[in-house]
Amino acid sequence: MSLSGNYFAGVDVGSLAAKSVILKDGDIFATGLVPSGVNSVESGLNALNIALESAGLKQEELTYIVGTGYGRVSAPYANKAVTEITCHAKGANYLHPTVRTIIDMGGQDCKAIRIDQDGAVVDFAMNDKCAAGTGRFLEVMAGVFKVELKDLGAIALSATDTVPMSSTCTVFAESETISLVARGEKPENILNGIHHSIANRIAGLFSRVGIESDVFFSGGVAKNSGMKNAIEQALKVTIVKPEIDPQLIGALGAAVIARNFAKKEGLWA
Amino acid sequence: MSVKTLDVIRKRLEERPDELRRARENGLKVVGWVGYNVPEEIIHALGFIPVRIAVGGDDRLVEIGARYASSKTCVFIREIVGAFAENKDPYIQQTDILAFDATCLQNYRAAEVIEYFFKKDVVVLAVPRNFHLDEAKEYFAHEANEFTRLLEERAGAPLDSARLAESVALYNDIRKTLKSIYTFQASKNNVISWEEVYDLIQAGELLDKREYLSLLTQTLDELKERQHYPVIASDDGDSRIFLSGSLIPRGDRKLISIIKSVGGRIVGDDLWSGILPHLDLDIKEISPAGVALGYLNRTPHAALPYLDLESDRRLKKLQECLSQFKAQGVIYHTLRYCDPFTFKAKETKNVLAKSGIPLLEIHTEYAGSDYEAMKTRVEAFVEMIKIKSEIAEEQSVLVDA
Ligand code: SF4
Repeated sequence: MSLSGNYFAGVDVGSLAAKSVILKDGDIFATGLVPSGVNSVESGLNALNIALESAGLKQEELTYIVGTGYGRVSAPYANKAVTEITCHAKGANYLHPTVRTIIDMGGQDCKAIRIDQDGAVVDFAMNDKCAAGTGRFLEVMAGVFKVELKDLGAIALSATDTVPMSSTCTVFAESETISLVARGEKPENILNGIHHSIANRIAGLFSRVGIESDVFFSGGVAKNSGMKNAIEQALKVTIVKPEIDPQLIGALGAAVIARNFAKKEGLWA
Repeated sequence: MSVKTLDVIRKRLEERPDELRRARENGLKVVGWVGYNVPEEIIHALGFIPVRIAVGGDDRLVEIGARYASSKTCVFIREIVGAFAENKDPYIQQTDILAFDATCLQNYRAAEVIEYFFKKDVVVLAVPRNFHLDEAKEYFAHEANEFTRLLEERAGAPLDSARLAESVALYNDIRKTLKSIYTFQASKNNVISWEEVYDLIQAGELLDKREYLSLLTQTLDELKERQHYPVIASDDGDSRIFLSGSLIPRGDRKLISIIKSVGGRIVGDDLWSGILPHLDLDIKEISPAGVALGYLNRTPHAALPYLDLESDRRLKKLQECLSQFKAQGVIYHTLRYCDPFTFKAKETKNVLAKSGIPLLEIHTEYAGSDYEAMKTRVEAFVEMIKIKSEIAEEQSVLVDA
């Protein structure tokens, strides 16, 4: 497929980070990732500008832009807005056409998505009622142990035991963790327990939509190796390895959809 | 899409509370009914003015209701209790007698709470759980007679059989006309939307029944004039949504407005606040028991006991409606602590999946805090349906080529 000279962008503004992906000739050309600020329009533009800069492009040179994530509702720079559920499906399908199930764990919600061979959503379930199973929950736990969020997974993987965590509510889990530390439990074993407790909660989400191989893990939390391991155990699956930062999958899907819209609207052949 | 009679109906609704007040000053009594199997024709034939007490969408009233009813009571019933506590709703203010049924036990509990705390005159119709057994029907006939006796006491006169026959005929005409109007909303190039028909159905819960029938007839005439033969089919780019699950009363339009805002088109429902109670009501005998049994023999309410999947008339009715209105997906609305509908969501989803109809459950309450979360789910569901029909269209083009 030749897309020479045509650029399509996807911008995903989430609660913790704004991401962007630019496609050229059907290939990933540039990406951007910044922490989200209070102004979601600005956050989206910042992420897009980083990708544009690294690509040496101007915004006017983009044929089509699709906005996604919670910030999609206020994305004046985008030609269209599409939900993150549809975008994650397309993004995962773009990288791995054999993927049929996606676990997306972002800053403030967690999604179980089933897709078909075309990357179209077949079913989905979402948890966004509480912070359990989200990036925010892990962020709070990293705070309790005074470690970097990015190191949490590796610490959990070094555990020699799993300390069961009974609370899934962030507030209760925080105080339970403090009691476990006071009882003398090792931090890595507690963290391992926390990861497994989240994974079991995610398994509950999948009881609503089912699981079919291949399984893909997207969103910011997908960078956490301890979480990946716990989910593999809870769901009894092997998660496919992403070629790019899994946090960019929503933006990638949005870029793929931007390309499809551009074609449909006759903006490129 | 403007149907002129609908404006008349809106205006008549504004005038209705005052009209009820004047009717009461002239000695008439208003019966507010709450529930799913209250035989309204009996209330009407006894010379009472029936109005349905069904309010929703106000979290503040839910909180007030929670001072009287357990916080595990569904939000709909808590809001009703809250509305009685506050006593500002114009229809509640004009109610002399309340008629409840015990189809859903939460409804029955509301009757007890309202009678106890707010000293209202309450009449309750007991409803058998195992409604399909002959003994249950016998029991229900007996309860319908008792319900009628209690209302006769309050009317100060016995139920006249000729008046009951008139009321049944009037209500039958209303149901028939509503069903005809309903097909127009689901048609291609529709001139009336599902939302308008839904409001129209709920207007009938409050307006005078004879006037309501005449307004319905005018609406139908207007529709026929503008759209000779309604053909139930998709317009380009439609994603045809069917609404199911817990009722959506007056005042609660959160989910309905979200569906519309993300480009979904509602083309049908089997809600107990929508068309469902008006379907399949066949009164075989003009008597209190005959009317009540007609009600009970309709598609059963979800609060009545579990039926095995093969014989569950609720699912059969849903499937029948889905195919009649050419729906592409079901949004299944469950209210917080509405167990009758929440517990049936999963099996309904599994049954429909076999015929390729996706179902999205939206579990919600009357607070606005979940608006965005609901919107994301509904928007993704609508996108899913649109993509599915686009793929199907592309494939049919390929096959044709
Ligand atoms: S069926 Fe559901 S919404 Fe209706 S009264 Fe019962 S619990 Fe409440």
